[in-house]
Amino acid sequence: MLEVRSIFKGFAGVPALSDISFEVSENEYITLLGSSGSGKSVMLRIMAGLLNPDAGQIFLRGEDITNRPCHERRIGFVQQKYALFPHLNVFDNIAFGLRHRNNDRMTDESLITRKVSEMIELVGLTGQEQKMTGQISGGQKQRVSLARTLVTSPEICLLDEPLGALDANLRERMTIELQNIRKELGISFIHVTGNEFEALAMGQKMLVMSEGRIVQQGEPQTLYTMPQDLITAKSMHSFNIFSGDMMADYLKAGIKGKVPATKISRASHCAVRMDKISVANSSAKASGLEATFLTSEFLGNKVIYFFKTNDNRICEVEDHMSLSEPKLLNANSTYRLSWDASDMLLYDENKQLIS
Amino acid sequence: MDKVVSLKWFLGIFTALFVLFLYGPFIVMGILSFQQGPEGGPQFPIIEWSTYWYQHVMGYAPPSRVAPLPIGEALIRSLTLAFATMVVSTVMGVLTAQAFRRRFRGSGLVFYSVILGMIVPGVLLGLGMALLANQFGIDRNWWSTAFVLHVVYTYPFAFLVMLAIFNRFDASVEEASLSLGVSPARTFRKVTFPIIFPGVLSAMLFAFTLSYDEFPRTLFTGGSDVTMPLAIYGTFAVEIHPNLFAFGVLTTLFSFSLLVIYAILLSVSTRRQRARASGLQEDIS
Repeated sequence: MLEVRSIFKGFAGVPALSDISFEVSENEYITLLGSSGSGKSVMLRIMAGLLNPDAGQIFLRGEDITNRPCHERRIGFVQQKYALFPHLNVFDNIAFGLRHRNNDRMTDESLITRKVSEMIELVGLTGQEQKMTGQISGGQKQRVSLARTLVTSPEICLLDEPLGALDANLRERMTIELQNIRKELGISFIHVTGNEFEALAMGQKMLVMSEGRIVQQGEPQTLYTMPQDLITAKSMHSFNIFSGDMMADYLKAGIKGKVPATKISRASHCAVRMDKISVANSSAKASGLEATFLTSEFLGNKVIYFFKTNDNRICEVEDHMSLSEPKLLNANSTYRLSWDASDMLLYDENKQLIS
Repeated sequence: MDKVVSLKWFLGIFTALFVLFLYGPFIVMGILSFQQGPEGGPQFPIIEWSTYWYQHVMGYAPPSRVAPLPIGEALIRSLTLAFATMVVSTVMGVLTAQAFRRRFRGSGLVFYSVILGMIVPGVLLGLGMALLANQFGIDRNWWSTAFVLHVVYTYPFAFLVMLAIFNRFDASVEEASLSLGVSPARTFRKVTFPIIFPGVLSAMLFAFTLSYDEFPRTLFTGGSDVTMPLAIYGTFAVEIHPNLFAFGVLTTLFSFSLLVIYAILLSVSTRRQRARASGLQEDIS
């Protein structure tokens, strides 16, 4: 439905996006994960028509819209900081697009009232219609911003870190609501975020961006369990990544089971999921990577243990409370860390997964 | 502790004196405008309190040896000129400031050439304009040559006010409007302008008051039909009577009423928002 084809964009000679291509299908929730500066917001602004790409094309239902001005694209854009109209109340904010848009402008106030009221009900803002934007909470602003865009029934809706400014509680609730709202309307969403949990939980399809490139795209589950690219693995914040000269020694010490030596010799990087590492006392005969326990962090449903290897790298181990009791470890004591060969991902010098 | 107290007193008295000097002339003028007429002169003591000179300014006083102030037409001219200057300068100021929201090639040069209009001494600018007009054989009039200079002078002020307003302006609301399918022109009318409106009012007020009592530029370029400040200066050079003071009080009151209108306009827009916010609007309708 929407196709982005090799988009390039630079600012003052510094490339911000290079060769970005992806497709959005009908009725789909796409998340775009990237750290700050990865170019994800620039990409969104290009799609919205607020920035022009240096090269590349964007197609909407087969039509080239690359050079179409923002107000003729029918692409909704929900901004990070809501950008509500401060001089209008909630109702007028939401009705703004219907009343003033260039194409298909509505003049029948009763029709506008009906459409806006429906939308207000859908996003859960009933009773707030007459309030000014300064008098509602962050979560409500988020809803107004969303409703204002959705009421104009755009072809596709772009959301720039929509949950970024909300507190944790609200964030969780909005995650579910966003998905419900989208399903109800059947519009495709592209949701940009820097939070891997958000990206994993919400997306039917997920794109990972880094340094102006898309490093991987696919289903969240695949991306999480089998990151094809080391950057994807890093952005999940669930992997211990070993690289450099010491890596081979690490692997020799830590792996339970056999890994073909040829495979290891090709590898430049190695990623091990935090929850796949087992910890044994150093005194026991168990083999494993020697590491000093530093401290642990209790997170309710899981505990994260921090170890320091002999060459001063931090290695994190995660324990889910539903699976095991928390470990009793002594600070500054030595333990042995090990993992199954099958739980280890090896990457070559180009940071690509070695299968 | 004693030192702090004495410093407080010192600063307090200093401020009081400052305010007194600031308003002194106006207070004296205000008092003397109630001098008895037509014999009473523009000095103390007050022979008898009266509103004679106010009647004289308004033209209600019986004819006497004191000629009426030749300001009627001058006042109309000044108001017209100030109004026209206000409109042109504000429109230009808003548009220029809008242009300066993006860096463009040569923006520094344009900025300083606009600002030059308020930095160059008025006398020089007036003289230069007069010479230029003579050179090209253009008649000097308050509505032509003087008007141009008034705009040159007030436009930078309007521009700077709007520049400050746009500096704090969050462009994301305009982007939001565009992405809702609203054209750039309509976005300006429906989003940008309502938000910057208080700033526009300030720019208008600035331009109006600056033009209204502009002296040196008008002196050189205004031609034979004088504006109000020139007319007052003209009477001052011959012989003054308290009718001038009465007129001064009236014009000051006029300026104050402009300020009051400005304040009302501002508060109406905010109060309307507040009223809507608290649900008052529903009760009213």
